[in-house]
Amino acid sequence: MAFDYQLNETTSSSSKIPEVDFSHAPEMEPYLDEPQAMYVGAPGKHGYLRLGFEIDPRGKCILRDLDRRAPLIVQQALYFDKEMPEMPCVYILSSGGPNVEGDRYQQDFYLKKDAFAFITTGAATKLAEMTHNYSGLVQNITLEEGAYLEFMPEPVYPCKHTRFISDTSINIHPTATLFYSEIFMGGRKYYAEGELFEYDILSVCSHAERPDGKPLFREKFIIDPKLRNPRQLGIMGNYDVFANVIVMTPKEEADKIYDLITPFINRDNKTACGITHLPNDSGLLFKVLGMEPGPVKAIVRDFLDKVRRVVKNRALPEEFPWR
Amino acid sequence: MNITEIMRLLQFTDSTFPVGTFSFSNGLETAGFENMVYDKDTLHDFVKSQAWQATFTDGIAALCTHRAFLAGDYKKILEADNTLILCKMNDEARQMLKRMGKKLGELAIRLFDTDIAKNWLEDIKAGNTPGTYPVAQGIAFAAAGISEKDLFCSHQYGVVNMVLSAALRCIRVSHYDAQEILYSMSAEVEDLYNQVKDMKIGEMHAFFPELDILASLHEKGNMRMFMN
Repeated sequence: MAFDYQLNETTSSSSKIPEVDFSHAPEMEPYLDEPQAMYVGAPGKHGYLRLGFEIDPRGKCILRDLDRRAPLIVQQALYFDKEMPEMPCVYILSSGGPNVEGDRYQQDFYLKKDAFAFITTGAATKLAEMTHNYSGLVQNITLEEGAYLEFMPEPVYPCKHTRFISDTSINIHPTATLFYSEIFMGGRKYYAEGELFEYDILSVCSHAERPDGKPLFREKFIIDPKLRNPRQLGIMGNYDVFANVIVMTPKEEADKIYDLITPFINRDNKTACGITHLPNDSGLLFKVLGMEPGPVKAIVRDFLDKVRRVVKNRALPEEFPWR
Repeated sequence: MNITEIMRLLQFTDSTFPVGTFSFSNGLETAGFENMVYDKDTLHDFVKSQAWQATFTDGIAALCTHRAFLAGDYKKILEADNTLILCKMNDEARQMLKRMGKKLGELAIRLFDTDIAKNWLEDIKAGNTPGTYPVAQGIAFAAAGISEKDLFCSHQYGVVNMVLSAALRCIRVSHYDAQEILYSMSAEVEDLYNQVKDMKIGEMHAFFPELDILASLHEKGNMRMFMN
């Protein structure tokens, strides 16, 4: 049955995609005015992705379901991970350049029973300078029994007066594992005179629940540099880059990973990291601070290597030299 | 406020109030060891971050509970309790809130004759609700007839004083320095209250990665003068 393992692709512009609206978020209230150029969510400004992974009848894990709307692009899954050559790897690309005001995005990732995948972005996500409205992203991640997802996009770069909000909803079976990382730059550090923490607002929320609806945790951070200076000791201090990594995995694996991590503050290369348990024994939270994206990314990758070794008994391959 | 209410506000805010605040440093022990906090100015910045962090998490939970108590809405109290724990990312911070919350709950049923306090303590013991300190404060202050604004003052005073008390034991600062910081911080509480007074329980948020990393260093480290 050939169709059992073929890609089921939907790109018809006629079928509806979910609305992305954050007007209910109080922190975005100052940024609800319509853009003067293209209206909110106009074609080409309302990206949508649905990626569904499953094990096909031959036992191969495949990208079975794909729906994509401009400016988000995913062409096909590749199998380039030499340590896990059976794992579908997906690059998310954006044909529209940076996220601009009035952009809306939704990404839905679904991994069926025992499926596994690696998802990343082709390049950093740039959040453009904005004068009206905001850019918003909704993500829904669903992992069925035994599923395993590594989501490690390239860093996010906010510009001066960027307004960005995201909401990531995770629905995860107790036996599944999710590695979910985000790296946020303070801004375009080397642009002109230097542009750090000059954005208007970053509002980022991640929350998770079990398939039966039991809530597990909810982490929300709002960075509004005009209201509270991120340079304050205790917030970013003197650091410029921040990474947040959520690992949801069964308690036994979480405890093993936790034991492998030694938090540190390294004064020589100006990096720091810490780890703690998420509420409800649902996994771990790992945070990294640094001055440049490279060292921060290296620490996040090293953490992913440890997670993969514990959960899959495999190593993480070396990063491609061009990444 | 009448004299009785003022006396009770002082009682619940006193650092000797038996909920165990002296056992915690909120990461200061590690910040001192890492030489991030070493004098009056750096201590002031650290205390400010702690106060801000508490405002938009514990402060909101305490205020929402206070209102729910006055409305007789026990479900909303449980909602505040559970939501606060979901939003507390640091493991030691969750333990601290639960330990102090249960202690205050046990005290509350001796001080007030309210079914809400009794039910809440029973639900903590039965594992139906986490029993966090800000929620206990909301219940206790409302039961004692103290206003939500005064509750917020007490909450802020508690956070700032907890860190300053720890500072006198692990940072090279004087009592004069600590009192000057406390006096200065008091002037900011009105503004913080105005920022959170209309927030709902679902609006809790926090962005303090440096504090989170310090908490992690303490959680996995060997320093144990304080419990967090």
